[in-house]
Amino acid sequence: MSGDTLPPFAEGIFTGDGALTKLVGSRCALCGAQHFPARTHCPDDMTETETVSLGSSGTLYSATVIRTKPPFGLPAPYAVGYVDLDAHPLRIFMLLDPAHTEDFRIGMPLDLRSGLLGVGLGGEPCIRPYFTPALKD
Amino acid sequence: MVAILGVGTTRFTQKLERTIVSLGVEAARGALSDAGLAPARIDGAFVANALGGMLFGDTTIGQTLLRDVGLRRLPVVNVENACTSGSSALWLAWNAVHAGQMEAALVLGVERMCVPSLGLINSGRTEIDTLLGLVTPASFALRAQRHMHEFGTTREQMAAVVEKSRRHGALNPNALFQRAETVADVLAGPAVADPLTRSECCPIADGASAIVIGSDRLARELGAGVRIDSVVLASGGYENPADLARWDTDSETAAAAYARAGIGPDDLDLVECHDAFSIAEILHCEALGLCAPGEGGPLAASGATALGGRIPVNVSGGLLSRGHPVAATGVAQIAEIAAHLRGTAGARQVEGAKVGLAQCMGGDLAGDTKSCTVAILSR
Repeated sequence: MSGDTLPPFAEGIFTGDGALTKLVGSRCALCGAQHFPARTHCPDDMTETETVSLGSSGTLYSATVIRTKPPFGLPAPYAVGYVDLDAHPLRIFMLLDPAHTEDFRIGMPLDLRSGLLGVGLGGEPCIRPYFTPALKD
Repeated sequence: MVAILGVGTTRFTQKLERTIVSLGVEAARGALSDAGLAPARIDGAFVANALGGMLFGDTTIGQTLLRDVGLRRLPVVNVENACTSGSSALWLAWNAVHAGQMEAALVLGVERMCVPSLGLINSGRTEIDTLLGLVTPASFALRAQRHMHEFGTTREQMAAVVEKSRRHGALNPNALFQRAETVADVLAGPAVADPLTRSECCPIADGASAIVIGSDRLARELGAGVRIDSVVLASGGYENPADLARWDTDSETAAAAYARAGIGPDDLDLVECHDAFSIAEILHCEALGLCAPGEGGPLAASGATALGGRIPVNVSGGLLSRGHPVAATGVAQIAEIAAHLRGTAGARQVEGAKVGLAQCMGGDLAGDTKSCTVAILSR
């Protein structure tokens, strides 16, 4: 699952790879509101934003397993969810770990990963981020 | 005051090999004929089609098909607003008539989408959520999971929406599905996105629906008795964190429509809402104030939303059984309410109906809808 030579599915969404993957967002310099994906200007006051790391951990708000023909070469079936980020007041949509498709439950702690997962708009293999069940301490 | 002067709707089907133009012409002719108005008396037309550009490369089809019903040398606006394309066309037309810009306007929604290249609907191919695997059934499955978690809503309650829908659809000769389906049948069907099965997701269809609306004066001349008291169109709020179990954009749009019409949910005799998925009808019933927040599941299972119940919802069969030709749906909902208020709804007539509401929703962005419409009709 090394992603050294493969492109990300989109630019500016995440940094790092494997267990060091972190989400990228933005913060308004004026009102402090945070956004994901990052925006160049705050949608509330049109002020320029700064790029911030949104970290790599969260709590599952809702999840589903999609059992129809998957888009973008994703596995069949595949799981997706909304995740409340631990250190930021944001609820974001994200893929869930294909190795744990049937294991996701609302309220469970999650960690971010990334790796080869499906193909991009042009059909080329690419790296996508996904949340996986957090390892117990 | 803005009145409904005539309505026309084609059969909704997956079998027709008809063009967009032929579907649109049939519905438009039907509405003009029902109104008893010559084409020359229509002052403007608003034509909704959501997918023709993407599927067939057909654009500005309004002018193309209106030529065939004798509508020429008038303002024509083509409208695309996802599943609210038809109801957004109505919003434009209502405002034009209400403002006195037009005496009579045609509103037409038409869709041809039963082609192999369609695939699953998403909300924009290059949006980040789409690239991360979000498809429309998943958006509603995620709402269903959260609704079940917070309110104890059950799969059986969601399936009850479909069972009721099929009973209603069997009473509507224009509906796609004309067969019964039990709660057990619904739950035994193939899974689409947990917990939703295939029967809990609305089917695609081809079809068209048209209405002619007009001024007070024209309504008196033609003896038309159904009014459109308010039409509200709103985009989403896209707040983060989004609450997937309570739909603020939905309830705020409804509240605005109730306020402008000067009525409340207790005044309604019937509702057509955007039941694209079983859970969607439950969420919309709550947002429209037909029950308390979180009580939509028990409401569906109680029979209150069936024909003969306290507040019949989607007696046309709704999107789930009538079928969902995207841009036609929002107009077909209005035509359905109008039929009940005129007493011409046949076997599915809501007896004595005086006030009805049509709610429609389209697009998906940041855990919210891109577009929501609510219209209130009365006689």
